[in-house]
Amino acid sequence: MAQDVQRTHYRRFSPAQRFEHFVLIIAFIGLAITGLPQLFAGEAWAQSLILALGRIESVRILHRFMALLLIVEVLYHVLSLAYKLLVLRQSASMLPRRRDGRDLLDWLRYTVGRLPERPRMAHYNFLQKIDYWLTVLSILVLLVTGLLLWNPIAVTGVLPGGAIPVAQAIHKNQALLLVLLVVWHTYNAFLKQFNVSIFTGNLARRIMLEEHAEELETLESGEQTPGASGEQVASRARRFWPVAIVVTVLVAAGLIRYLTYQQTAITTVPRQNVAIFAPDVQPAAGDAAIGGALWSTLRCPICHGPQATGGPEGAPALKGSSGSVGKTLTFEKFYAQVRNGSDKMPAFRPEELPDGYMAHLWAWLSSKSTS
Amino acid sequence: MNRRTPLLMVVLGLLLIVLALLLPRESHAAIPVAGPGDVLLDEAPRPSNAYCLLCHAQAGQTWKLPSGETVSLTIDASVLAKSVHGDTSSKGPLTCADCHGNFRYPHPVQTAQSLRQFTLTRYASCRNCHEDQYTRSQDSVHGAALRAGRPEAAVCVDCHGGHDIQPPDRPRERISLTCGRCHGAIFDQYRNSVHGKALFTENNPDVPTCIDCHGVHNIQNPTTAAFRVRSPEVCSKCHSDGALMAKYKLNTHIQESYLTDFHGSTVALFEQQDPKIPTNKAVCFDCHGVHNIQPVNNGNTSPIRENLLTTCRQCHPDAKANFPDAWIGHYPATPESHPVLYAVNGFYSLAIPGSIGLVVIVAGADFFRRLRQRFSRRRQTGA
Repeated sequence: MAQDVQRTHYRRFSPAQRFEHFVLIIAFIGLAITGLPQLFAGEAWAQSLILALGRIESVRILHRFMALLLIVEVLYHVLSLAYKLLVLRQSASMLPRRRDGRDLLDWLRYTVGRLPERPRMAHYNFLQKIDYWLTVLSILVLLVTGLLLWNPIAVTGVLPGGAIPVAQAIHKNQALLLVLLVVWHTYNAFLKQFNVSIFTGNLARRIMLEEHAEELETLESGEQTPGASGEQVASRARRFWPVAIVVTVLVAAGLIRYLTYQQTAITTVPRQNVAIFAPDVQPAAGDAAIGGALWSTLRCPICHGPQATGGPEGAPALKGSSGSVGKTLTFEKFYAQVRNGSDKMPAFRPEELPDGYMAHLWAWLSSKSTS
Repeated sequence: MNRRTPLLMVVLGLLLIVLALLLPRESHAAIPVAGPGDVLLDEAPRPSNAYCLLCHAQAGQTWKLPSGETVSLTIDASVLAKSVHGDTSSKGPLTCADCHGNFRYPHPVQTAQSLRQFTLTRYASCRNCHEDQYTRSQDSVHGAALRAGRPEAAVCVDCHGGHDIQPPDRPRERISLTCGRCHGAIFDQYRNSVHGKALFTENNPDVPTCIDCHGVHNIQNPTTAAFRVRSPEVCSKCHSDGALMAKYKLNTHIQESYLTDFHGSTVALFEQQDPKIPTNKAVCFDCHGVHNIQPVNNGNTSPIRENLLTTCRQCHPDAKANFPDAWIGHYPATPESHPVLYAVNGFYSLAIPGSIGLVVIVAGADFFRRLRQRFSRRRQTGA
C-alpha cells in the first residue's frame, strides 16, 4: 500500500459525465411521463397525467421535445466518446471483453454460494456493461422507430405502409423494456448499494472493494498509466475538431430538415355539404320500396285499401289487375288529385306528403306486385 | 369588518342558493304557453264533439288566411277515432276541446297571418299531456332553430300529425319517412345507404333509423365538436354488440381496433376531457360516410378498401400509395395479414415477461446472498 491512510472515496465521474447523466435523467423522465400515458390512454391514471400536462396534443408535442433533448444528448455522447478514443486515446473500457463472461460466471457462483469472494472487477464491471449496452440499444431502437413515427406520411413514400404499425409496436414495447431497465439500474445503484457517485463524482471505497476490486488495487498501488504527451494530443485535436464540427452541422441540418418535413394533416375535416332543410329534393328515380312503406304510413289505405286495390266505400283501385295506375291515370293527374283532392278525397299538403315522396309513391303504385 | 366578512359571505351565499332554487320554477311558469284560447281559461263546460261536428262534419268548410292559403276545416271524425287519441287511447278518446280549448262558437278572431303562424301558436297544447316530450323538444336543435327565427323548424304536429296521429314508430320505416319530409336531401342519401336499403327493402328490425343515432325530441345539433367526438359511441352501440353483429356476420373488433389506433385514442381522450374542443382526428363517419354509408364488402370487392387512399387524402393530401397500409384495419393482426407485426408482438410478449423474470431472479439471488453474508459475518463477530 502506497499510503498509510486509506482514502474513503475515489474519483469516478467527471463533471461533464455527471451533467450528461443529469440530462439523460431529465430526458428519460420527460419521455416516460409523456409517453406512458399515451400507451395506456384508457387508464384513469394516464388520463389524469394527460390532463395535468395540458391535454393530449401538448403531451404529444412535449414527447417530441423530450426526444429532441435525448437526440442532442446522444450526439454529444458520440462526439465526446470519439474525442476520448481518438484524441485522448483512452482505452475503450466499456467494450465487452472475454473476462466479463468469466466475471459473470464467478459472480453467479458467488451469488449461489459456490465461491467465497466476488470476482475482482475493473473500472466498468460486466453488470454496468450490460446496463450500458442495453440502454444504448434501447435508445437507438426507440429513436429510429420514433423518428419513423414522427413523419408517417413521408416515411410511407419510401417504405411500405406496414413499417408504421411495426415501428409503433416496437416503440411501445421497447419503451416498456427501457423502463424495466431503468428500474433495474435504479435498484443496482440505490437499493443494492447506495451508490451516488454519478451525482457526487466520487465512489466510496467500500463499494469499490465490492464492484471494482481490481481497479481499486491499481489506484492504491499508485501506478500511473503513461498518458500521451500534450503535443500529440494537441495535434490530434487540430484534426478532430473540424471533422467533428462538419459532422455535427450536417447531422443537425439533416435532423431539422427531417423533423420539420411533414405538415400534411389538415386542421379541419371537410364536412359533407348536404342541405339540412330540404323538403323539395326530388329523388333521381322513384323507389317502390320507399313508396310501399310510405303508403302504409299515410291516410291513403283508409279508403284505398292496404294494398291500394280499392276500398269498400268506392275508393278506386290504384294497383293490381284492376288498378288505374299505368292505365288511365298518369303521374300528372295523380299528382294533381293528391294535392288538390276532390269532393270525396282530402287534399294532401306538401308538409304531409312532400313532392319528393310523390315519385316513390308512384313507383310503388306502378309496380305490378301487390305485396 | 374583517371578522364579519366571512359571515356576511355565508349569509349572502345561502340567500343566493335559496334564490337559485326558487328561480327555475318561476321562469318555467313564465314560459308563455297560451296561444289564443289555448287552455280552458274559464270554468264553463267544454263543448262536446257533437257540438263541434255540427259544422265541422260538413263538406266544403274552408278558412282563407291572409297569406292566401286555404285550409279545409272539414273534420272526418273517423280519422280522429282511429288515431292514438281515439278509441284505443289508454286514457279514453280525446275530445276536440281537449286540444282546441275554449273554441266556442262564435270562434275568437284569429290573428294568424299564415297557416304556419297558426300552427306555431297552437302546438303547445300538446304540452298539457306530454310535458316531458314538449320540454325536450324545446331543448332540441328544432327548438333552438325556432327561437332563432326559423318558423319551418319542426314542432310536435309536424312529425306526429294533427288529427290522424299514429304510433310514430309503426311501421319502423315511418320514423325515417317522417324526418325525410323536411330533410329530403339527407333522406335521399340515407335510403341508398346500407342501413336505409335494409330498412326499406328487407324491413330489417336492427338497422338504425334516424332517431337511433340522433335521438328523439331532444335531438342535438350533429355538427358540433361534442357530437363528433361522441359519434364513435353511437356507432358502437350496435357495432360492438357481439350477438347483433354475429347475426349479420359483421366485424366485432371495430370499436376496440379504433380505440387502440391513433385516431380513436385521441378522439376518446377529447370526448372524456374536452368534448367541446374540436379535433381533426377521424371518427367513423369521416371514412365511412355520414348518411350514405355503404357496405364494406360488396360481394368479392371492397369498395371502401379500394378507395382508401382517396379517403386518407381528405385529411392527408400528401399521402402516397403506401400510406393506407400504415393502418392495419379493424381486424387484429394475424400471421397471414401482418407477418412482421405479428412476429414483433410475439417477440416482445416473450421478451418483456422474460426480462421481468430475469430481473426478479437476479435481484432476489443477490439480495439473499447479501443477507446470508451479513448473517454469517455477525455470527463470526459475535463468536
